Amino acid sequence: MIPLLRSELRKVTTTKVLFFLTLAVVLFTALNVLLLVYLTPSAMEVENNDQLLLNPEYVTNILGAAGSSSIFVLILGIVAMTGEFRHMTITSTLLVTPRRSRVLIAKGIIFLAIGAVIGLIAFTTAITLTTLTLAGKPHSPIDSGIALQILGGVVLGFAIYAFVGVAVGALIRNQVAAVVGALIWVLIVEALLTVFVDWIGKWLPGGALDAVLQATNVSGRGGSEVLSVGAGAAVLIGYAVILGALASATTMRRDIT
Amino acid sequence: MPTIGQALTVEHLSKRFGQVHAVHDLSFSVEPGRVTGFLGPNGSGKTTTLRCMLGLVRPSDGAARIGGHVYRDLDHPGRIVGAALEASGFHPGRSARGHLRVISDALGLPKTRADEVLELVGLTDAAGRKAGGFSLGMRQRLSLAAALVGDPGILILDEPANGLDPEGIAWLRGLLRGLAREGKTVLVSSHVLSEVQQTVDDVVIISRGALVQAGTLADLAGNGAIRVRVRTPRREALVAALQAPGGSNTPTGIDPTGPDELLVTGLAPSDIGRTAFLAGVELHELVQQTNDLESLFLELTATGAPGGTA
Repeated sequence: MIPLLRSELRKVTTTKVLFFLTLAVVLFTALNVLLLVYLTPSAMEVENNDQLLLNPEYVTNILGAAGSSSIFVLILGIVAMTGEFRHMTITSTLLVTPRRSRVLIAKGIIFLAIGAVIGLIAFTTAITLTTLTLAGKPHSPIDSGIALQILGGVVLGFAIYAFVGVAVGALIRNQVAAVVGALIWVLIVEALLTVFVDWIGKWLPGGALDAVLQATNVSGRGGSEVLSVGAGAAVLIGYAVILGALASATTMRRDIT
Repeated sequence: MPTIGQALTVEHLSKRFGQVHAVHDLSFSVEPGRVTGFLGPNGSGKTTTLRCMLGLVRPSDGAARIGGHVYRDLDHPGRIVGAALEASGFHPGRSARGHLRVISDALGLPKTRADEVLELVGLTDAAGRKAGGFSLGMRQRLSLAAALVGDPGILILDEPANGLDPEGIAWLRGLLRGLAREGKTVLVSSHVLSEVQQTVDDVVIISRGALVQAGTLADLAGNGAIRVRVRTPRREALVAALQAPGGSNTPTGIDPTGPDELLVTGLAPSDIGRTAFLAGVELHELVQQTNDLESLFLELTATGAPGGTA
């Protein structure tokens, strides 16, 4: 398994998609922090930002920008898996490792690790920029306990979300269909389901991710119910495992022609 | 110490894709220490057969074995079999070296192996370039390099000469001959016999998914031994004379090809002429058929050849 993991890691480090999606995470996180620090959200009825910065919860929100770019991590996992079929590198992959589920597991493990690292990068971006921009302004202090909770949530959440991406890519081998399908699911279907079927939201992948990320306050679910961090992580891992098993039993068994 | 190859055996292999019978009850074997040409027109089922051998396509019936095992049961298959299936299986943004390192990593080989095989196929100068910018010939060389990473005893190459210039083809010939001399098993597919004629020892010819002929190249050439077209107004009399017992030479085959025409196999024109003369049969034409392998190959694989998709 070690050689296989090394090979899967090499695949990621020899192309640029990891770099660009990580860059997107950094930029999107930075943008979120800067907007929260320098502009006043229209929902907040306050005179100016300086007042908000004195509110501990608002400062937590700023740091929580670390969890705002989860979608890029999901797409990374999808692109990595579907890329094998798109560029037909799956042929040389399976020639070396004909047991297909092993390939899927190895890729899943590597992307758990990559997702965790991207989570760490996102958190580092958020806390660095928050510290820098708040310096010199009167603000509520950054609570180190909450910061650690955010760090843990983002690392765990991004790790599992990248793993989910790999499983989705194995099930939907067409890259464009998988990426577009995932975006539609996350941005439209899940949002609608959550609005109209109240109890279901927390059990959906996005709701489970929100549970893991709950310290970041970025769920945007307007206070709708979420699971505990542990239960959310379990549900999210469950989705990845079920999608992966489903792919192993169906799409991954197909002839490679 | 080079790795010695094992035999490949295909046993009653069939593959259907929906209504299409791509391969139909195909059996043959490929021996180590020889270069075997796997020949057939485009769409005759060569690639499907190779993909069945390599565990990429599941046979509908029968099996392909490597040293007695199906591909997915092999320990470290990448060190036993090296395959180059198509020139397009590269990530366009990954360098040649990166592509090979992905493979050498999975095989548990040191990173330096990538540069060794790049040198072997003459791509050292392009090692750091992205495969997306490669010409067809360079892609073929990279495919071949990928097949060689694990120093396998068996090489399976699908149309490796496609896109190579004449110099490249000569180079490929030398490489494959050398590998066979080391005792490796080399299977090379092609849709043009003349492309591999100077490289192969054995041939397996298929058409429309079924075996047409398998044997040595010499057998194939011998199969077309001597064929003579004869035109005579007294066809039956000539046939009787040729088949008469006691004659020093008898033909291996006599096929009527027209009301006044015969195709005689296994006798020289001079023998036929003498027999006709002694029997008093008038001849209008006595022509030895050209005996080149390419036309024989085309004839063997033409529509109506044995096999078919039924």
